[in-house]
Amino acid sequence: MKGIKGRITERLSGIYAGIGGMNIVDLSLRLTLLDMLLRPVGDRTVRPLTLVFAALGLLIPGQLRSKLIWLPLAFLTGLRVLLDWPLPDNHAYLLFYWCLAVAIALSSRDSERCLAFNGKYMIGLAFAFALLWKAFLSGDFMDGRFFSIAMLTDPRFEAFTGSLLSLDVNEIEGLRLFLEQHIDGKLPARGLDIPSLPSKLHLVSEILTYWTVLIEGAVAISFLLPSRAAVSRLRDSFLILFCITTYSVATVEGFGWLLIAMGVSQSDERRKAVRYLYVAAFFLILVYSYLPMFR
Amino acid sequence: MIKYLRSKACLCYIPVLLLTAVALTQPYLAHNYGLSPWSGGGFGMFSTSDAPWRRHVHAYSVSPGVRREIVIPDYLRDTALRAAALPADTYLARLAEELAEIPSPESGTARSIIIQVWKTEYDPAFLVPSGSMVRSLEVPLEGD
Repeated sequence: MKGIKGRITERLSGIYAGIGGMNIVDLSLRLTLLDMLLRPVGDRTVRPLTLVFAALGLLIPGQLRSKLIWLPLAFLTGLRVLLDWPLPDNHAYLLFYWCLAVAIALSSRDSERCLAFNGKYMIGLAFAFALLWKAFLSGDFMDGRFFSIAMLTDPRFEAFTGSLLSLDVNEIEGLRLFLEQHIDGKLPARGLDIPSLPSKLHLVSEILTYWTVLIEGAVAISFLLPSRAAVSRLRDSFLILFCITTYSVATVEGFGWLLIAMGVSQSDERRKAVRYLYVAAFFLILVYSYLPMFR
Repeated sequence: MIKYLRSKACLCYIPVLLLTAVALTQPYLAHNYGLSPWSGGGFGMFSTSDAPWRRHVHAYSVSPGVRREIVIPDYLRDTALRAAALPADTYLARLAEELAEIPSPESGTARSIIIQVWKTEYDPAFLVPSGSMVRSLEVPLEGD
């Protein structure tokens, strides 16, 4: 009798073999379309069409690599950036560049190489520019202020803050009200009732600051250096580590999934373990977004 | 034919070049036009607390002897947020023009509308907030 355990093992082996045997470009495109379906982008004009093209690309056999899917997606994601300018976040720009890269790669003679080139250098450049802002251009990142403020005021960090700093909802709310009060100029120095900050706040902010600079720097360097460089061989590990740590705290799953889809495109076809890790990270971020302990 | 194939290969570089061009322009806009580091495609998100929605916008209607603050209505929230994200003349003037359409309680028409964009900064030791003006523009109204 073939038990449930046996059948589950058989199914899992099938999934394992399916992912392992899939062409790297196909896997990357599927993950990109899944990202667009799980976290739809744009407003009322762009969103429905984006969803339709992303769904058609996944649903209809043979359409995954169709320019008739990716050219409209590049146009729509670009239109979204233009319509919302200057408000779109980094994810919106990166999604547009990526859809454009896919559309161009599918028109080129060597799709895999063209897509891998774009995946590798777009990730490297995005992290390099992020690092430039954090380490050099921003005036309040390296001293830990950004994370202190974010942990106490940004709803995306609320669950993380509450559990790590042992604060209840009311304490977070009290600090948030103090930090977010509307001030033009300076508060009067005399009689100012400054709430005491949680004792661990500074330490946690510093750890987060240095960890972020370290991991983003590692991703930037390893993706921008030529593939023959020793550190470049670690690039997939750095990116996966970045994704599974960052998106357990910050709820911007769409960005994480996009980075994973781009990461897959440039990974070595022969290193199957890397693609399993990418896919596992994709699903881990999905789990993060629904588990109350992370939210 | 060779030319055509070369041009096709060159197309592969376009997305990376586009990303680089936009990301290099963004710090320039941030420095010279007050663009929020979170906006503009320069990958400055999560690098500073100066995000567009943390900025606040004040609008004043100016008529002879009177300067009155205008409450920005909900339907102009998006226009105000764009002005907060990038307080360039175009966005500030657009908001001022929209606000000029709102009937004024004063007799006579306003001569101008002042738009101010403020950001919140935090003291490094105790995180005490303070506001500093990013940009202010006085927009003269037609008819003067």
